[in-house]
Amino acid sequence: MANEEKNSIFKVAFNLIAACFISGCVIGVVYFITAPVAAQKAEIMKQESMKSLVPEAESFQEVQGKDKWFAAQKGGKTIAYVVPGESKGYGGAIKMLVAVTPDGKVIDYSILVHNETPGLGDNASKPAFRDQFKGKSSEQLVVVKDKSKAENIQAMTGATISSRAVTKAVKGSVDEVAAFAGGKK
Amino acid sequence: MKYWKIFSKGILDENPIFILALSLCPALAVTTTVINGLTMGLTVMFVITSNNVVVSIVRRWVNPKVRVPVYITSIATIVTVAQLVLQAYFPVLYKALGIYLALVVVFAIILARAEVFASKNGVIPSFLDGFGMGFGFLVAMVSISIIRELIGAGTLCGVPVFGDGYDPMLMMVLPPGAFMLIGYMVAGVKTWNKKREEKRLKEGEA
Repeated sequence: MANEEKNSIFKVAFNLIAACFISGCVIGVVYFITAPVAAQKAEIMKQESMKSLVPEAESFQEVQGKDKWFAAQKGGKTIAYVVPGESKGYGGAIKMLVAVTPDGKVIDYSILVHNETPGLGDNASKPAFRDQFKGKSSEQLVVVKDKSKAENIQAMTGATISSRAVTKAVKGSVDEVAAFAGGKK
Repeated sequence: MKYWKIFSKGILDENPIFILALSLCPALAVTTTVINGLTMGLTVMFVITSNNVVVSIVRRWVNPKVRVPVYITSIATIVTVAQLVLQAYFPVLYKALGIYLALVVVFAIILARAEVFASKNGVIPSFLDGFGMGFGFLVAMVSISIIRELIGAGTLCGVPVFGDGYDPMLMMVLPPGAFMLIGYMVAGVKTWNKKREEKRLKEGEA
């Protein structure tokens, strides 16, 4: 009899509710403490990642009328735009930040989120591949496997799809900046 | 001596990856570089140890009918806390671990230790059991990732070791290489354990 009472549905349910309630409280308290720190760190990381893309910039200002566009300022002049780029890679969406000069040349990029194959596709964030983009304009951003075509982008070994996706995202950002900066003049 | 045995069984005799063959999925997925393997191993060690402690403290009040949901809730809470803390104080590490951090919740080894050991033992043995199992997991993860990174990329913690002349064997950083390597390592550890067992029996007879 006592055993039946112990296992009644209410007791069992109460047991679970209590466990979930305690768990909720713990997570709530931790979140309350960490959320402001996390937001602050995310902001710092964002500023730093932009700073690493355009080292000579003095400050970054949000561009009016464009979502998540930043203009890198130096001496009151815009020397570069940092814009988000996105495309579909081998393992899903690749999200990146692309720094472009106002006249439509690539400065650098950094990959924020990706799901590419470790050791192959994720080499896209390494200098060996990334440095190829520096100073290139939109029409040069084509992936090739021919080493003699130095003005284009050499595909990464074993990661043609990732190479193409990254190049496509960079090209898209360059075109957007060119259209935006061109329209402003 | 008894406590040492509880701790050390997770390293060789009942190593989660090499002997129990649990949580092989993350062992394949994140062991491409030593840093990833190490961070994952440490996270799992932390979660399994704290979960064992929590489970062994609350085991008296948990109704046996709902013990598994309660354990899962406890694991999920600890993982979420670890996630929030990592996100706030170590954002770079948090980014590197990505989705695998959240997946720690469903690692079979953690629930298995809660069910098999912590729910039947006191706080100190449970702590040691979790710590030992976590340590065994860590050792396995790190040793797999050292071999994979060394052969597959020619680097160790991102530092090239073989020089320019080395042509990395790409297969090792891809899943098939991991399957083969883990297979060989399981065989190796099993053979070694058997040898040790035989030696122990001989000494016992003598």
